[in-house]
Amino acid sequence: MSGRTEGGLIERRPQKSASKQSHTPRGGRDIGFVFQDPSASLDPVMPIGKQIAEVARTHLGLTWSQSYARAKTLLERVRLPDPDSALRAFPHQLSGGQKQRVAIAAAIAAGPKLLIADEATSALDTIVQAEIVALIRRLVTEDGMTLLFISHDIALAAELAGRIAVFRHGQLVELGMTAQIVDAPAQPYTRALLDAHIGLDTKPLLNRAGLHA
Amino acid sequence: MSLLAVSNLTKRYRRGDNTIAAVDDVSFHIEPGETLALAGPSGSGKSTIARVVLRLIEPDDGRIEFEGDDFLALRSAALRARRARLQMVFQDPLAAFNPRATVARVLDDPLRIHGIASRSERPRRIAALLERVGLTADLAPRAIHEISGGQRQRVAIARAIATKPSLIVLDEAVSALDVSVRGEILELLLDLQRQEKIAYLFISHDLGVIRSIAHRVILLDAGRVAENGDARTVIDAPQSAIGKALVAAAPRLNRTLMRLASAGLD
Repeated sequence: MSGRTEGGLIERRPQKSASKQSHTPRGGRDIGFVFQDPSASLDPVMPIGKQIAEVARTHLGLTWSQSYARAKTLLERVRLPDPDSALRAFPHQLSGGQKQRVAIAAAIAAGPKLLIADEATSALDTIVQAEIVALIRRLVTEDGMTLLFISHDIALAAELAGRIAVFRHGQLVELGMTAQIVDAPAQPYTRALLDAHIGLDTKPLLNRAGLHA
Repeated sequence: MSLLAVSNLTKRYRRGDNTIAAVDDVSFHIEPGETLALAGPSGSGKSTIARVVLRLIEPDDGRIEFEGDDFLALRSAALRARRARLQMVFQDPLAAFNPRATVARVLDDPLRIHGIASRSERPRRIAALLERVGLTADLAPRAIHEISGGQRQRVAIARAIATKPSLIVLDEAVSALDVSVRGEILELLLDLQRQEKIAYLFISHDLGVIRSIAHRVILLDAGRVAENGDARTVIDAPQSAIGKALVAAAPRLNRTLMRLASAGLD
């Protein structure tokens, strides 16, 4: 299942004026990617400032000092505490949520038009997940990015997405506005996904009469 | 008498020059056939408590009574024998098993090590265990890496119940599963609890699941008990700061629907 938001109100087209010539979209520059496990996507032996700066340097043609300045701004934007010393930190010195903030900073360092978040919050605890979702929502709005948010959690996808596409066995089962998918799904599989959601107001599975304590 | 009684448990880790109490003076008890959930954010001490209860790590302070015995005093053979009564299921069954083993081998080990069934009897016991967890006996010769994640977690449960435990520690045991598979595994756990009167120490960060299947819940914050009580009472109206934060952070379909409706989208 995946959810997609279209950030902002302006329909985006390739900006011919911004680049010297039109190009085919390139990963890292035009498309930012955030994966589930930031420990696996960050280089464990490279300071995080360099990991963010090299994206900007590679794709935007900035000098190293310009790239580091940009990395510092990005660390501020993803609300990492003390960005100056964070630039020199290594991934193992950060918590899981902080690492995911760094991965997001690196993903948006070249100013992509499309941000793909593949289960980007699934490995995080609920509170950190809510913080990262709020961060993604803010960055997408501020930068006018399109967000492709891939998740197995339909409740989470619904909080973030304007439209939801439901997949099963490699096939697109249903695609629609979030309200329609959640409130009036057309497909039985979508219904089953919604029914499998265990929320804070779902009828409990446990029958209390069963305990002989 | 409680099945498991944990008193004033403390476990400290050293980080550089500092000592951090991952678990700080935690006490709780579990009754036979009961599910007690431990919830809290990352680093709140949930898994450390699980590992101390399983005696994978030793606490710095505190007492654990299991089935009436001083569990921390048990050594070697006595500890191994008692471990049959205290089983575990972890989040990632692929990491918990030898990936090259077959399903039969994984289930044969506990039956052999704990002397539960003779060599000739074991294939029949393995088939019965597989059927008990909703699998078929023809899965036995398959390799662990060949079967699906849901099947693998069922095999992990079959391995756990092979030694007829009175308590199973479930550490994020359903967190990595697809939502539809998760529902089936939760139903299986409840069914086993009803039939065999197994108690669960259920560790999760998912308050929805805890509210659905646990009798009681302990909310942990930085190694300490922040809140403790009936699962539905606590989650429906949390009193502690961490309880309120956990509840506020849980995604909610109804809240989203109401927001969309009030925004006038269609």
